[in-house]
Amino acid sequence: MQQPQQQSPPAPATTEAPPKQVALAMDRLNHAGRLIADIRLGADRLLEAMFMAGESQQSNKPFKLIVQEEASMRQYLQDLRAVGKQLEDSGVLNESLRSRSNSWGLHMPLVCPDGAVVAYAWKRQLAGQAGASAVDRTRLALKAFTDQKKRFFPHLDDDNETGSPSKKHCDKQTSTGSEEEEPSELATVSDILLCLEKEVPDVKSFTYPRLKWLKRASLLPISSNEPFMDPSKEHSFHNSNKLGHTTINAEKISVIELLFPSIFRAVISLHPAGSVYPDSVAFFSPDEGGSYLHARGFSVHHVFRHITEHAAIALQYFTGISAETALHSLLLWICSYRTLFTKVCSKCGRLLSMDKQSALMLPPVQRPYRDFPVGKFSSSEQTSATNYHQIIDSIEAYHIGCFPEEI
Amino acid sequence: MPVKWVLHWQPNAGTSVNSQILTEVSQCAESINGVKGGRWKATLNFYRPMLKDQVNPAEFPRDFLGISLQEQPSKYYFVIRGQRIVLEADSNIQNIMEKLQSYKSRVALNFEGFQYQLGDFQLRVGKVVPLHSESLRGIVMEIDYLPISSWEKSHQIMSEFYDIWQEALQKRSLPGHFARMEPNFGDYGLGDQYTLPHTAVQYASIMLQMIATAQSVRN
Repeated sequence: MQQPQQQSPPAPATTEAPPKQVALAMDRLNHAGRLIADIRLGADRLLEAMFMAGESQQSNKPFKLIVQEEASMRQYLQDLRAVGKQLEDSGVLNESLRSRSNSWGLHMPLVCPDGAVVAYAWKRQLAGQAGASAVDRTRLALKAFTDQKKRFFPHLDDDNETGSPSKKHCDKQTSTGSEEEEPSELATVSDILLCLEKEVPDVKSFTYPRLKWLKRASLLPISSNEPFMDPSKEHSFHNSNKLGHTTINAEKISVIELLFPSIFRAVISLHPAGSVYPDSVAFFSPDEGGSYLHARGFSVHHVFRHITEHAAIALQYFTGISAETALHSLLLWICSYRTLFTKVCSKCGRLLSMDKQSALMLPPVQRPYRDFPVGKFSSSEQTSATNYHQIIDSIEAYHIGCFPEEI
Repeated sequence: MPVKWVLHWQPNAGTSVNSQILTEVSQCAESINGVKGGRWKATLNFYRPMLKDQVNPAEFPRDFLGISLQEQPSKYYFVIRGQRIVLEADSNIQNIMEKLQSYKSRVALNFEGFQYQLGDFQLRVGKVVPLHSESLRGIVMEIDYLPISSWEKSHQIMSEFYDIWQEALQKRSLPGHFARMEPNFGDYGLGDQYTLPHTAVQYASIMLQMIATAQSVRN
């Protein structure tokens, strides 16, 4: 135990690390507490002695007691003063303590709701001590999680506030002539996909609850080993799913599959399930199959891996512009990749180019996403399928090294 | 399965193929960032009927091709070019043919070489050697583009790669070039999705030139 009255003056607060200072301060405070207790006891004894003296005037005992007590009391008070001085010097006790119990930026000492006194409240929570209540720990964890979510996923608004989306069909017959700023009101996934199929007739789109997609992914590719592929087998599977566009419980839809036969397959996941907010996207060869085929997976082929990386950035961009229209924009942008193996680079005019960074021969895997002409797709004119094809196919394509800086 | 183009070395008139050219071709593959992989091997047999005198020769196909491919060692592929027939059989058909003695293998060639990986492209460069021999009689190449299995959809990208490959080779001033034939798969009953019978048909198409090259070396 420390003897504070014999000790040298306390080290200045600046040279020792806060934990050491805290430990010292704790010791001194405890000592002060004991001294105060001793002083209280001494005061009681003095009172008792005076009472005894008042009772019987013969004995000398009370007098001796009083003198003895007085001496020890003086000592205690002196010690207390010394400890107090030490605490003042080390900054524990000062004027500002009256307004804020905060030293060195730490809340110490802290009285926890259960009455225990500690230096750092978080230390208890970290150590999982019995004293720290489960409520406190949960509250801290939730706060940390929410902060992180806000920082890294700013577009994920409060899930509870979406409410029930009103069902409106793809708006093709609105006011004549005017170019609308916003695309037509496409509030559900079914609406968006129906619209997409009108705009891009050769895409095949399907929706799945999450587990159903995993099952399908493991079964892919269908009949890759047979020498003569039977397309009717694929169609029957697709059709049964396609009918389910509106019959599948809309709240469970969390995966969209876009297939351009013989070109690519894109998998988009929605979060939360049933909403229209895309969460991630990945591209694969139509011949690939396996449980790694999901919106956060990566293809075995370099070309699709690069597209997936680029698509992640496009997704962030579309979501940043408007969370409501992000899915429609993203799906249309994905459809622009139907020219992946045929459209030459808009900068160098070639289809294949050796990418310097990866030392691979790749086709133009990047397509611009800024100023994506979504508006053209929602025009009120009766646009034919060939017109849409032209719009989609007119979207430029670039090799990785050819992608313009300004876009 | 991924689409494949089969190419064969066409020496310039008056020249012939030799192992130096093979080395140069392999180095060229590595110069465009090809990563050398494992070995590959295929075998080709050229069958002629064993005709007895009484038999009408017109009834039998004059010749047909049998080929065994590394991707599927348990199968054997027959191609009869005259009648545009391609057939997939079990690999023990070769034993049966030996026993039946109705057709005999007149020319047997081995293709041996290495694979090179170029990102999503896979190259195979192989020498053509007769069975039980070491002498080089030709060079054969296969180009695979792994992400696509549609013949039609891959055509443009394969053509461009072929051009890039030819350009890279030309810098080495070799006495010849890689040629290819584009057979009409539809005639053989094959579809747009690429399969091993497609490969067999491509080999059958370059067969005659390859045999001519092989014979010119011998001479």
